Amino acid sequence: MTKLILGISAAVLVLGWMLAPPPALAGDAAAGADVFKKECSECHTTKEGRNKKGPSLFGIVGRKAASIPDFNYSDALRARTDWVWTADKLHWYLSQPVKQANPGTKMKYDGLDDPKALDDLITYLGTNH
Amino acid sequence: MLSTTIHRATRRPRPWQLWCALALLLLLASGGAQAVPAYARQTGSSCADCHAAAYGGGPGGPMLTPYGLRFKMGGYTDTDGNGTKIPVSMQLTETHSAPAKGDSTTNLSEGDLYLAGRVSDNVGGFVKVEADRTGHNTYNTVLRNVDLRFVAKELKFAGKELLLGVSVNNMPGFDDPLNALSASNTISPAGVTGTLLNFSASNAPASRVIGATVYALFDTNWYGEVGTYKSMPTSLQDNLGFNVAGDPGKLSDTGYFRFAYMKDMKSQYFSAGLVGLTTKRELPRNGGPKDDINDLGYDVSYQYLGNREHIVQLSYSNILEKRKYGSTFASPSDPTLFSRSRGNAHDQTLTATYIFKQSYGVTVSHLLSTGSPDPVRYTPNGDPDTTANLISVFWVPFGKDDSYIRWGNLKLSATWFRFTKFNGATSNIFAAPVGTPMTNPGDFNAFSVAASLAF
Repeated sequence: MTKLILGISAAVLVLGWMLAPPPALAGDAAAGADVFKKECSECHTTKEGRNKKGPSLFGIVGRKAASIPDFNYSDALRARTDWVWTADKLHWYLSQPVKQANPGTKMKYDGLDDPKALDDLITYLGTNH
Repeated sequence: MLSTTIHRATRRPRPWQLWCALALLLLLASGGAQAVPAYARQTGSSCADCHAAAYGGGPGGPMLTPYGLRFKMGGYTDTDGNGTKIPVSMQLTETHSAPAKGDSTTNLSEGDLYLAGRVSDNVGGFVKVEADRTGHNTYNTVLRNVDLRFVAKELKFAGKELLLGVSVNNMPGFDDPLNALSASNTISPAGVTGTLLNFSASNAPASRVIGATVYALFDTNWYGEVGTYKSMPTSLQDNLGFNVAGDPGKLSDTGYFRFAYMKDMKSQYFSAGLVGLTTKRELPRNGGPKDDINDLGYDVSYQYLGNREHIVQLSYSNILEKRKYGSTFASPSDPTLFSRSRGNAHDQTLTATYIFKQSYGVTVSHLLSTGSPDPVRYTPNGDPDTTANLISVFWVPFGKDDSYIRWGNLKLSATWFRFTKFNGATSNIFAAPVGTPMTNPGDFNAFSVAASLAF
Protein backbone atom coordinates (compact mmCIF):
# COMPACT_ATOMS: atom_id res chain seq x y z
CA MET A 1 0.00 0.00 0.00
CA THR A 2 2.80 2.35 0.90
CA LYS A 3 4.46 1.61 -2.41
CA LEU A 4 1.23 2.37 -4.22
CA ILE A 5 0.85 5.71 -2.48
CA LEU A 6 4.45 6.56 -3.19
CA GLY A 7 4.00 5.49 -6.82
CA ILE A 8 0.86 7.58 -7.25
CA SER A 9 2.54 10.55 -5.57
CA ALA A 10 5.51 10.25 -7.86
CA ALA A 11 3.27 9.97 -10.91
CA VAL A 12 1.30 13.04 -9.82
CA LEU A 13 4.49 14.99 -9.31
CA VAL A 14 5.84 13.98 -12.73
CA LEU A 15 2.50 14.75 -14.41
CA GLY A 16 2.31 18.07 -12.59
CA TRP A 17 5.81 18.95 -13.71
CA MET A 18 4.92 18.06 -17.30
CA LEU A 19 1.68 20.04 -17.31
CA ALA A 20 2.94 23.04 -15.39
CA PRO A 21 3.51 26.23 -17.32
CA PRO A 22 7.10 26.95 -18.23
CA PRO A 23 9.04 28.37 -15.32
CA ALA A 24 8.63 32.08 -15.00
CA LEU A 25 10.24 34.72 -12.88
CA ALA A 26 8.53 35.78 -9.68
CA GLY A 27 6.76 38.76 -11.14
CA ASP A 28 3.26 40.16 -10.99
CA ALA A 29 1.34 39.04 -14.05
CA ALA A 30 -1.30 41.78 -13.72
CA ALA A 31 1.39 44.45 -13.62
CA GLY A 32 3.08 42.64 -16.50
CA ALA A 33 -0.06 43.01 -18.60
CA ASP A 34 0.28 46.78 -18.23
CA VAL A 35 3.97 46.59 -19.12
CA PHE A 36 3.01 44.60 -22.20
CA LYS A 37 0.54 47.29 -23.27
CA LYS A 38 3.14 50.02 -22.84
CA GLU A 39 6.15 48.28 -24.26
CA CYS A 40 5.05 45.55 -26.64
CA SER A 41 1.45 45.78 -27.81
CA GLU A 42 2.06 48.02 -30.80
CA CYS A 43 4.03 45.26 -32.51
CA HIS A 44 2.83 42.07 -30.78
CA THR A 45 -0.32 40.46 -29.50
CA THR A 46 -0.73 37.59 -27.07
CA LYS A 47 -3.48 36.13 -29.21
CA GLU A 48 -2.79 32.81 -30.84
CA GLY A 49 -2.21 33.02 -34.57
CA ARG A 50 -2.33 36.80 -34.75
CA ASN A 51 0.84 38.47 -35.95
CA LYS A 52 1.43 42.19 -36.23
CA LYS A 53 4.71 43.72 -37.27
CA GLY A 54 6.10 41.20 -34.79
CA PRO A 55 4.94 37.63 -34.26
CA SER A 56 2.26 36.52 -31.84
CA LEU A 57 3.61 36.08 -28.31
CA PHE A 58 1.03 33.47 -27.43
CA GLY A 59 2.98 30.66 -25.78
CA ILE A 60 6.25 32.51 -26.19
CA VAL A 61 7.74 31.28 -22.93
CA GLY A 62 9.27 27.91 -23.75
CA ARG A 63 8.87 28.35 -27.52
CA LYS A 64 11.67 27.74 -29.96
CA ALA A 65 12.91 30.94 -31.62
CA ALA A 66 11.56 31.75 -35.11
CA SER A 67 9.07 28.92 -34.94
CA ILE A 68 5.76 30.45 -36.06
CA PRO A 69 5.30 29.07 -39.56
CA ASP A 70 3.47 32.02 -41.16
CA PHE A 71 5.66 34.80 -39.79
CA ASN A 72 8.45 36.26 -41.87
CA TYR A 73 11.34 36.26 -39.42
CA SER A 74 14.69 37.88 -40.08
CA ASP A 75 17.51 35.69 -41.24
CA ALA A 76 19.33 36.69 -38.08
CA LEU A 77 16.67 35.09 -35.90
CA ARG A 78 16.16 32.09 -38.14
CA ALA A 79 19.85 31.39 -37.73
CA ARG A 80 19.42 31.03 -33.96
CA THR A 81 18.38 27.44 -34.23
CA ASP A 82 19.53 26.75 -30.70
CA TRP A 83 17.48 29.50 -29.07
CA VAL A 84 14.49 28.70 -26.93
CA TRP A 85 12.58 31.56 -25.33
CA THR A 86 12.88 30.48 -21.73
CA ALA A 87 12.14 33.02 -19.04
CA ASP A 88 15.84 33.49 -18.49
CA LYS A 89 16.51 33.91 -22.20
CA LEU A 90 13.74 36.47 -22.52
CA HIS A 91 15.10 38.32 -19.51
CA TRP A 92 18.54 38.46 -21.10
CA TYR A 93 17.18 39.41 -24.52
CA LEU A 94 14.82 42.14 -23.40
CA SER A 95 17.13 43.76 -20.89
CA GLN A 96 19.32 45.21 -23.64
CA PRO A 97 18.88 46.71 -27.11
CA VAL A 98 17.74 43.73 -29.15
CA LYS A 99 19.97 44.65 -32.06
CA GLN A 100 22.84 44.20 -29.64
CA ALA A 101 21.50 40.84 -28.48
CA ASN A 102 20.90 39.64 -32.01
CA PRO A 103 22.55 41.81 -34.68
CA GLY A 104 20.54 41.80 -37.88
CA THR A 105 17.17 41.27 -36.24
CA LYS A 106 14.22 43.20 -37.65
CA MET A 107 12.93 43.89 -34.15
CA LYS A 108 13.42 47.41 -32.85
CA TYR A 109 13.54 47.67 -29.10
CA ASP A 110 15.93 49.52 -26.86
CA GLY A 111 15.42 47.19 -23.95
CA LEU A 112 13.64 47.42 -20.62
CA ASP A 113 15.99 48.60 -17.92
CA ASP A 114 13.53 48.21 -15.03
CA PRO A 115 14.16 44.68 -13.60
CA LYS A 116 10.83 44.60 -11.76
CA ALA A 117 8.89 45.57 -14.88
CA LEU A 118 10.80 42.98 -16.88
CA ASP A 119 10.01 40.25 -14.35
CA ASP A 120 6.36 41.27 -14.39
CA LEU A 121 6.30 41.23 -18.18
CA ILE A 122 7.83 37.79 -18.48
CA THR A 123 5.53 36.45 -15.79
CA TYR A 124 2.59 37.82 -17.77
CA LEU A 125 3.88 36.31 -20.99
CA GLY A 126 4.17 33.00 -19.16
CA THR A 127 0.45 33.06 -18.48
CA ASN A 128 -0.39 33.24 -22.19
CA HIS A 129 -0.35 29.69 -23.42
CA MET B 1 -12.17 68.51 -40.94
CA LEU B 2 -12.59 72.04 -39.87
CA SER B 3 -12.86 73.90 -43.08
CA THR B 4 -12.62 77.36 -41.85
CA THR B 5 -11.14 80.60 -43.02
CA ILE B 6 -13.82 82.73 -44.38
CA HIS B 7 -11.98 85.03 -46.69
CA ARG B 8 -8.43 86.06 -47.31
CA ALA B 9 -7.50 89.56 -46.56
CA THR B 10 -6.84 90.87 -50.00
CA ARG B 11 -10.46 91.38 -50.81
CA ARG B 12 -13.43 92.70 -49.02
CA PRO B 13 -15.44 90.06 -47.17
CA ARG B 14 -19.16 90.01 -47.84
CA PRO B 15 -21.77 88.51 -45.56
CA TRP B 16 -23.08 86.06 -48.11
CA GLN B 17 -19.57 84.72 -48.65
CA LEU B 18 -19.19 84.26 -44.95
CA TRP B 19 -22.42 82.33 -44.71
CA CYS B 20 -21.46 80.10 -47.62
CA ALA B 21 -18.08 79.38 -46.14
CA LEU B 22 -19.57 78.66 -42.76
CA ALA B 23 -22.10 76.34 -44.31
CA LEU B 24 -19.17 74.46 -45.79
CA LEU B 25 -17.47 74.48 -42.42
CA LEU B 26 -20.45 72.94 -40.74
CA LEU B 27 -20.94 70.45 -43.51
CA LEU B 28 -17.41 69.22 -43.20
CA ALA B 29 -17.09 69.47 -39.46
CA SER B 30 -17.65 65.78 -38.98
CA GLY B 31 -15.66 64.47 -41.90
CA GLY B 32 -12.17 64.90 -43.19
CA ALA B 33 -10.98 61.71 -41.65
CA GLN B 34 -7.86 59.82 -42.46
CA ALA B 35 -9.14 56.51 -41.25
CA VAL B 36 -7.34 53.93 -43.29
CA PRO B 37 -8.16 50.32 -42.52
CA ALA B 38 -5.87 49.41 -45.43
CA TYR B 39 -2.96 50.26 -43.15
CA ALA B 40 -4.33 47.93 -40.48
CA ARG B 41 -4.57 45.13 -43.02
CA GLN B 42 -1.04 45.85 -44.22
CA THR B 43 0.55 45.88 -40.76
CA GLY B 44 -1.67 43.48 -38.85
CA SER B 45 -1.99 46.27 -36.32
CA SER B 46 -5.18 47.59 -34.85
CA CYS B 47 -6.44 51.09 -35.58
CA ALA B 48 -5.77 51.80 -31.89
CA ASP B 49 -2.05 51.19 -32.30
CA CYS B 50 -1.68 54.30 -34.48
CA HIS B 51 -4.69 56.34 -33.37
CA ALA B 52 -5.26 57.10 -29.69
CA ALA B 53 -9.01 56.98 -30.24
CA ALA B 54 -8.84 53.91 -32.50
CA TYR B 55 -10.07 55.94 -35.46
CA GLY B 56 -8.18 58.14 -37.84
CA GLY B 57 -10.31 61.20 -38.17
CA GLY B 58 -13.30 63.30 -37.35
CA PRO B 59 -13.46 66.58 -35.50
CA GLY B 60 -10.54 65.77 -33.22
CA GLY B 61 -8.24 64.80 -36.06
CA PRO B 62 -6.17 61.64 -36.40
CA MET B 63 -4.86 61.73 -32.80
CA LEU B 64 -1.76 59.78 -33.80
CA THR B 65 0.14 57.87 -31.15
CA PRO B 66 3.96 57.92 -31.21
CA TYR B 67 3.76 54.57 -33.01
CA GLY B 68 1.46 56.11 -35.61
CA LEU B 69 3.80 59.05 -36.05
CA ARG B 70 6.68 56.64 -36.70
CA PHE B 71 4.60 54.73 -39.21
CA LYS B 72 3.98 57.99 -41.05
CA MET B 73 7.64 59.00 -40.97
CA GLY B 74 8.56 55.53 -42.17
CA GLY B 75 6.66 56.19 -45.37
CA TYR B 76 3.64 54.02 -44.55
CA THR B 77 5.76 50.96 -45.38
CA ASP B 78 5.62 48.81 -42.23
CA THR B 79 4.12 45.39 -42.80
CA ASP B 80 3.36 42.15 -41.02
CA GLY B 81 5.30 40.49 -43.83
CA ASN B 82 2.38 38.29 -44.66
CA GLY B 83 1.79 38.91 -48.35
CA THR B 84 0.61 41.88 -50.35
CA LYS B 85 -2.59 43.59 -49.24
CA ILE B 86 -4.91 45.67 -51.38
CA PRO B 87 -4.07 49.29 -50.49
CA VAL B 88 -7.60 50.61 -50.81
CA SER B 89 -10.06 51.85 -48.18
CA MET B 90 -13.30 53.79 -48.15
CA GLN B 91 -15.08 55.99 -45.69
CA LEU B 92 -18.68 57.17 -45.62
CA THR B 93 -19.90 59.90 -43.28
CA GLU B 94 -23.53 60.63 -42.50
CA THR B 95 -24.06 63.94 -40.73
CA HIS B 96 -26.94 65.64 -38.99
CA SER B 97 -26.13 69.33 -38.86
CA ALA B 98 -28.07 71.82 -36.78
CA PRO B 99 -26.81 75.39 -37.24
CA ALA B 100 -27.88 78.12 -34.85
CA LYS B 101 -29.49 79.92 -37.78
CA GLY B 102 -30.86 78.06 -40.75
CA ASP B 103 -32.32 74.66 -41.45
CA SER B 104 -31.08 71.43 -39.99
CA THR B 105 -29.99 68.78 -42.46
CA THR B 106 -29.27 65.08 -42.37
CA ASN B 107 -27.42 63.52 -45.25
CA LEU B 108 -24.47 61.57 -46.50
CA SER B 109 -22.07 64.44 -46.23
CA GLU B 110 -18.88 62.85 -47.47
CA GLY B 111 -17.50 59.78 -49.18
CA ASP B 112 -13.78 59.10 -49.38
CA LEU B 113 -11.60 56.75 -51.33
CA TYR B 114 -8.11 56.08 -50.03
CA LEU B 115 -5.20 54.58 -51.88
CA ALA B 116 -2.94 53.94 -48.97
CA GLY B 117 -0.16 51.51 -48.39
CA ARG B 118 3.26 50.30 -49.26
CA VAL B 119 4.74 49.59 -52.64
CA SER B 120 7.99 48.23 -51.26
CA ASP B 121 10.10 48.46 -48.11
CA ASN B 122 11.14 51.93 -49.26
CA VAL B 123 8.10 53.33 -51.05
CA GLY B 124 4.62 53.99 -49.71
CA GLY B 125 1.90 56.57 -49.79
CA PHE B 126 -1.41 58.08 -48.86
CA VAL B 127 -3.86 59.44 -51.42
CA LYS B 128 -7.35 60.62 -50.54
CA VAL B 129 -10.08 61.34 -53.05
CA GLU B 130 -12.95 63.11 -51.34
CA ALA B 131 -16.54 63.53 -52.49
CA ASP B 132 -18.31 66.31 -50.60
CA ARG B 133 -22.03 66.87 -50.71
CA THR B 134 -22.78 70.17 -52.38
CA GLY B 135 -26.53 70.00 -52.76
CA HIS B 136 -29.45 67.70 -53.26
CA ASN B 137 -27.82 64.38 -54.21
CA THR B 138 -24.91 66.18 -55.80
CA TYR B 139 -21.33 65.70 -54.79
CA ASN B 140 -18.10 67.39 -55.75
CA THR B 141 -15.06 65.16 -55.97
CA VAL B 142 -11.61 66.51 -55.24
CA LEU B 143 -8.12 65.12 -54.89
CA ARG B 144 -7.69 66.17 -51.28
CA ASN B 145 -4.40 64.62 -50.17
CA VAL B 146 -1.33 63.21 -51.81
CA ASP B 147 1.68 62.06 -49.81
CA LEU B 148 4.02 59.74 -51.69
CA ARG B 149 7.19 58.79 -49.89
CA PHE B 150 10.54 57.24 -50.47
CA VAL B 151 12.44 56.29 -47.33
CA ALA B 152 15.84 54.87 -46.57
CA LYS B 153 15.73 53.22 -43.16
CA GLU B 154 18.19 51.90 -40.66
CA LEU B 155 21.04 54.06 -41.82
CA LYS B 156 23.79 55.06 -39.42
CA PHE B 157 25.32 58.48 -38.89
CA ALA B 158 27.84 59.20 -36.16
CA GLY B 159 26.93 55.86 -34.68
CA LYS B 160 23.25 56.79 -34.35
CA GLU B 161 20.18 55.69 -36.24
CA LEU B 162 19.24 57.77 -39.23
CA LEU B 163 16.16 57.72 -41.43
CA LEU B 164 16.10 59.70 -44.67
CA GLY B 165 12.98 60.34 -46.66
CA VAL B 166 11.41 62.25 -49.51
CA SER B 167 7.76 63.25 -49.50
CA VAL B 168 5.95 64.41 -52.61
CA ASN B 169 2.76 66.01 -51.36
CA ASN B 170 0.12 68.58 -52.17
CA MET B 171 -0.26 70.36 -48.84
CA PRO B 172 2.46 72.05 -46.76
CA GLY B 173 2.35 70.45 -43.33
CA PHE B 174 0.29 67.41 -44.26
CA ASP B 175 3.35 65.21 -43.90
CA ASP B 176 4.09 66.70 -40.48
CA PRO B 177 5.70 64.08 -38.22
CA LEU B 178 4.38 65.73 -35.06
CA ASN B 179 0.79 66.03 -36.22
CA ALA B 180 0.82 69.51 -34.75
CA LEU B 181 0.14 71.49 -37.92
CA SER B 182 -3.42 72.03 -39.10
CA ALA B 183 -2.85 70.28 -42.41
CA SER B 184 -2.09 67.07 -40.55
CA ASN B 185 -4.43 67.27 -37.57
CA THR B 186 -7.33 68.97 -39.43
CA ILE B 187 -7.95 71.46 -36.62
CA SER B 188 -7.53 75.05 -37.72
CA PRO B 189 -8.71 78.49 -36.68
CA ALA B 190 -11.61 80.06 -38.53
CA GLY B 191 -11.80 83.67 -39.54
CA VAL B 192 -11.61 86.24 -42.28
CA THR B 193 -7.87 85.85 -42.51
CA GLY B 194 -5.46 82.98 -41.98
CA THR B 195 -1.89 81.95 -42.56
CA LEU B 196 -0.74 79.95 -45.56
CA LEU B 197 -0.10 77.07 -43.16
CA ASN B 198 -3.75 77.15 -42.12
CA PHE B 199 -4.89 74.43 -44.50
CA SER B 200 -8.49 75.57 -44.55
CA ALA B 201 -7.89 79.28 -45.12
CA SER B 202 -9.40 80.50 -48.35
CA ASN B 203 -6.81 80.78 -51.11
CA ALA B 204 -4.46 78.64 -49.02
CA PRO B 205 -2.01 76.39 -50.85
CA ALA B 206 -3.57 73.24 -49.38
CA SER B 207 -4.42 70.66 -52.06
CA ARG B 208 -3.65 73.14 -54.85
CA VAL B 209 0.12 72.89 -54.86
CA ILE B 210 2.58 70.13 -55.52
CA GLY B 211 5.90 69.98 -53.81
CA ALA B 212 8.66 67.84 -52.47
CA THR B 213 10.40 67.81 -49.14
CA VAL B 214 13.47 65.96 -47.96
CA TYR B 215 13.53 64.91 -44.33
CA ALA B 216 15.75 63.18 -41.84
CA LEU B 217 15.14 61.63 -38.44
CA PHE B 218 18.35 61.38 -36.44
CA ASP B 219 18.75 59.29 -33.31
CA THR B 220 14.95 58.77 -33.24
CA ASN B 221 14.50 62.20 -31.66
CA TRP B 222 15.71 64.94 -33.99
CA TYR B 223 13.77 65.78 -37.13
CA GLY B 224 14.62 68.12 -39.96
CA GLU B 225 12.81 68.79 -43.22
CA VAL B 226 13.20 71.23 -46.10
CA GLY B 227 11.28 71.48 -49.31
CA THR B 228 9.57 73.60 -51.90
CA TYR B 229 6.14 73.88 -53.51
CA LYS B 230 4.68 75.10 -56.74
CA SER B 231 1.05 75.99 -57.24
CA MET B 232 -0.91 74.04 -59.81
CA PRO B 233 -2.22 75.86 -62.88
CA THR B 234 -5.83 76.87 -62.43
CA SER B 235 -6.82 74.50 -65.22
CA LEU B 236 -5.35 71.58 -63.27
CA GLN B 237 -7.05 72.73 -60.06
CA ASP B 238 -10.30 72.75 -61.99
CA ASN B 239 -9.65 69.25 -63.33
CA LEU B 240 -8.96 68.01 -59.82
CA GLY B 241 -12.32 69.27 -58.64
CA PHE B 242 -11.43 72.58 -57.04
CA ASN B 243 -13.21 75.86 -57.59
CA VAL B 244 -10.65 78.19 -59.15
CA ALA B 245 -11.93 81.01 -56.94
CA GLY B 246 -9.82 79.42 -54.22
CA ASP B 247 -6.65 79.57 -56.30
CA PRO B 248 -3.67 80.33 -54.05
CA GLY B 249 -2.19 82.32 -56.91
CA LYS B 250 1.06 81.79 -58.70
CA LEU B 251 3.65 80.99 -56.05
CA SER B 252 7.36 81.43 -56.58
CA ASP B 253 10.52 81.22 -54.48
CA THR B 254 8.62 78.98 -52.09
CA GLY B 255 10.49 77.31 -49.28
CA TYR B 256 9.32 75.17 -46.39
CA PHE B 257 11.15 73.93 -43.33
CA ARG B 258 10.32 71.94 -40.24
CA PHE B 259 12.63 71.19 -37.33
CA ALA B 260 11.57 69.27 -34.27
CA TYR B 261 12.59 67.32 -31.23
CA MET B 262 10.43 64.43 -30.14
CA LYS B 263 10.79 62.04 -27.23
CA ASP B 264 8.86 58.81 -26.94
CA MET B 265 8.99 57.50 -23.36
CA LYS B 266 6.48 54.71 -24.08
CA SER B 267 3.95 55.87 -21.52
CA GLN B 268 4.50 59.54 -22.31
CA TYR B 269 5.48 61.53 -25.38
CA PHE B 270 6.67 65.06 -25.89
CA SER B 271 7.50 67.14 -28.96
CA ALA B 272 8.52 70.68 -29.78
CA GLY B 273 8.84 72.02 -33.29
CA LEU B 274 9.53 74.99 -35.51
CA VAL B 275 7.97 75.52 -38.92
CA GLY B 276 8.43 78.08 -41.65
CA LEU B 277 7.04 78.84 -45.08
CA THR B 278 8.10 81.61 -47.39
CA THR B 279 6.74 82.49 -50.80
CA LYS B 280 6.00 85.22 -53.27
CA ARG B 281 2.38 85.20 -54.37
CA GLU B 282 0.83 86.62 -57.51
CA LEU B 283 -2.89 86.73 -56.87
CA PRO B 284 -4.74 87.20 -59.10
CA ARG B 285 -2.54 85.76 -61.83
CA ASN B 286 -2.40 88.78 -64.04
CA GLY B 287 1.32 89.47 -64.11
CA GLY B 288 0.90 92.14 -61.47
CA PRO B 289 2.92 92.74 -58.32
CA LYS B 290 3.52 89.94 -55.89
CA ASP B 291 2.82 89.64 -52.19
CA ASP B 292 5.80 88.69 -50.08
CA ILE B 293 4.60 86.24 -47.42
CA ASN B 294 6.56 84.64 -44.60
CA ASP B 295 5.17 82.22 -42.02
CA LEU B 296 7.07 81.27 -38.90
CA GLY B 297 5.66 79.20 -36.09
CA TYR B 298 6.29 76.90 -33.19
CA ASP B 299 4.36 74.11 -31.55
CA VAL B 300 4.51 71.81 -28.56
CA SER B 301 2.66 68.61 -27.82
CA TYR B 302 2.38 66.13 -24.98
CA GLN B 303 0.75 62.74 -24.69
CA TYR B 304 0.11 60.65 -21.61
CA LEU B 305 -0.48 57.12 -22.82
CA GLY B 306 0.11 54.97 -19.74
CA ASN B 307 -1.31 51.51 -20.30
CA ARG B 308 -3.72 53.00 -22.87
CA GLU B 309 -6.61 52.94 -20.40
CA HIS B 310 -6.56 56.72 -19.98
CA ILE B 311 -4.93 58.79 -22.72
CA VAL B 312 -4.46 62.55 -22.66
CA GLN B 313 -3.20 64.51 -25.64
CA LEU B 314 -2.35 68.21 -25.51
CA SER B 315 -1.05 70.38 -28.32
CA TYR B 316 -0.51 74.03 -29.00
CA SER B 317 0.60 75.69 -32.22
CA ASN B 318 1.34 79.33 -32.88
CA ILE B 319 2.03 80.59 -36.41
CA LEU B 320 2.67 84.19 -37.35
CA GLU B 321 2.50 85.28 -40.98
CA LYS B 322 4.07 88.52 -42.12
CA ARG B 323 2.80 89.99 -45.38
CA LYS B 324 4.20 92.65 -47.60
CA TYR B 325 1.49 93.27 -50.14
CA GLY B 326 2.47 93.87 -53.74
CA SER B 327 -0.28 96.44 -54.16
CA THR B 328 -2.78 98.43 -52.21
CA PHE B 329 -6.29 99.46 -53.15
CA ALA B 330 -8.77 102.15 -52.27
CA SER B 331 -11.82 101.67 -50.13
CA PRO B 332 -14.95 101.45 -52.29
CA SER B 333 -16.77 103.66 -49.83
CA ASP B 334 -13.97 106.17 -49.33
CA PRO B 335 -11.58 106.54 -52.29
CA THR B 336 -9.20 108.55 -50.14
CA LEU B 337 -8.65 105.58 -47.84
CA PHE B 338 -6.16 102.90 -48.96
CA SER B 339 -5.37 99.46 -47.68
CA ARG B 340 -2.11 99.04 -45.82
CA SER B 341 0.97 97.79 -47.61
CA ARG B 342 1.99 95.49 -44.79
CA GLY B 343 0.15 93.29 -42.36
CA ASN B 344 0.19 90.04 -40.53
CA ALA B 345 -1.99 87.09 -39.69
CA HIS B 346 -1.69 84.98 -36.59
CA ASP B 347 -3.14 81.50 -36.02
CA GLN B 348 -3.17 79.82 -32.63
CA THR B 349 -4.68 76.48 -31.76
CA LEU B 350 -4.85 74.85 -28.35
CA THR B 351 -6.33 71.36 -28.23
CA ALA B 352 -6.87 68.93 -25.37
CA THR B 353 -8.23 65.42 -25.75
CA TYR B 354 -9.07 62.73 -23.21
CA ILE B 355 -9.75 59.18 -24.30
CA PHE B 356 -10.95 56.28 -22.14
CA LYS B 357 -10.12 52.74 -23.22
CA GLN B 358 -9.32 54.09 -26.68
CA SER B 359 -13.07 54.14 -27.26
CA TYR B 360 -14.73 57.09 -25.53
CA GLY B 361 -13.34 60.57 -25.77
CA VAL B 362 -13.75 64.29 -25.68
CA THR B 363 -11.81 66.95 -27.57
CA VAL B 364 -11.81 70.64 -26.77
CA SER B 365 -10.07 73.20 -28.97
CA HIS B 366 -9.60 76.92 -28.59
CA LEU B 367 -9.03 78.56 -31.96
CA LEU B 368 -7.70 82.06 -32.43
CA SER B 369 -7.36 83.78 -35.78
CA THR B 370 -6.05 87.30 -35.48
CA GLY B 371 -4.38 89.87 -37.69
CA SER B 372 -3.18 93.41 -37.91
CA PRO B 373 -5.96 95.99 -38.33
CA ASP B 374 -6.76 97.24 -41.81
CA PRO B 375 -9.93 99.30 -42.30
CA VAL B 376 -9.99 98.67 -46.04
CA ARG B 377 -9.18 94.97 -46.21
CA TYR B 378 -11.33 94.00 -43.23
CA THR B 379 -14.57 95.84 -43.59
CA PRO B 380 -16.62 96.89 -41.80
CA ASN B 381 -14.70 96.83 -38.52
CA GLY B 382 -11.13 96.93 -39.80
CA ASP B 383 -10.34 94.05 -37.46
CA PRO B 384 -10.14 90.40 -38.58
CA ASP B 385 -9.93 88.79 -35.14
CA THR B 386 -11.99 85.67 -34.65
CA THR B 387 -12.30 83.37 -31.66
CA ALA B 388 -13.92 79.96 -31.89
CA ASN B 389 -14.15 76.71 -29.95
CA LEU B 390 -14.61 73.15 -30.97
CA ILE B 391 -16.07 70.66 -28.50
CA SER B 392 -16.56 67.09 -29.59
CA VAL B 393 -17.45 63.83 -27.87
CA PHE B 394 -17.07 60.52 -29.65
CA TRP B 395 -17.33 56.77 -29.39
CA VAL B 396 -15.34 54.26 -31.40
CA PRO B 397 -16.58 50.73 -30.72
CA PHE B 398 -14.07 48.81 -32.83
CA GLY B 399 -10.45 48.98 -33.96
CA LYS B 400 -8.79 47.60 -30.82
CA ASP B 401 -6.79 44.39 -30.42
CA ASP B 402 -9.70 42.64 -28.77
CA SER B 403 -12.38 44.00 -31.11
CA TYR B 404 -14.49 41.59 -33.09
CA ILE B 405 -13.95 43.87 -36.08
CA ARG B 406 -10.40 45.17 -36.42
CA TRP B 407 -10.00 46.14 -40.05
CA GLY B 408 -13.17 48.12 -40.45
CA ASN B 409 -14.34 50.76 -38.05
CA LEU B 410 -17.09 53.09 -36.93
CA LYS B 411 -17.02 56.45 -35.22
CA LEU B 412 -20.01 58.21 -33.73
CA SER B 413 -19.47 61.80 -32.72
CA ALA B 414 -21.33 64.87 -31.54
CA THR B 415 -19.66 68.21 -32.16
CA TRP B 416 -20.38 71.76 -31.15
CA PHE B 417 -18.62 74.55 -32.98
CA ARG B 418 -19.06 77.98 -31.45
CA PHE B 419 -17.88 81.51 -32.21
CA THR B 420 -17.41 84.18 -29.58
CA LYS B 421 -15.78 86.82 -31.75
CA PHE B 422 -15.93 87.53 -35.46
CA ASN B 423 -14.69 90.45 -37.55
CA GLY B 424 -13.13 91.68 -34.33
CA ALA B 425 -16.53 92.08 -32.70
CA THR B 426 -18.46 90.14 -30.11
CA SER B 427 -21.79 91.43 -31.41
CA ASN B 428 -23.18 93.03 -34.54
CA ILE B 429 -20.22 91.69 -36.48
CA PHE B 430 -21.22 93.32 -39.77
CA ALA B 431 -21.90 96.71 -38.12
CA ALA B 432 -25.53 96.78 -39.17
CA PRO B 433 -27.16 100.19 -38.66
CA VAL B 434 -29.46 100.62 -35.72
CA GLY B 435 -32.90 99.28 -36.50
CA THR B 436 -31.68 96.64 -38.96
CA PRO B 437 -31.08 92.95 -38.19
CA MET B 438 -27.76 92.32 -36.52
CA THR B 439 -25.55 89.26 -36.86
CA ASN B 440 -23.72 88.02 -33.78
CA PRO B 441 -20.83 85.53 -33.64
CA GLY B 442 -23.11 82.97 -32.02
CA ASP B 443 -25.27 82.96 -35.13
CA PHE B 444 -22.52 80.89 -36.77
CA ASN B 445 -22.58 78.23 -34.05
CA ALA B 446 -23.53 74.76 -35.08
CA PHE B 447 -24.15 71.38 -33.54
CA SER B 448 -23.66 68.22 -35.53
CA VAL B 449 -23.91 64.49 -35.02
CA ALA B 450 -22.01 62.24 -37.35
CA ALA B 451 -21.47 58.58 -38.06
CA SER B 452 -18.36 57.62 -40.01
CA LEU B 453 -17.86 54.14 -41.35
CA ALA B 454 -14.47 53.05 -42.67
CA PHE B 455 -13.56 49.76 -44.29
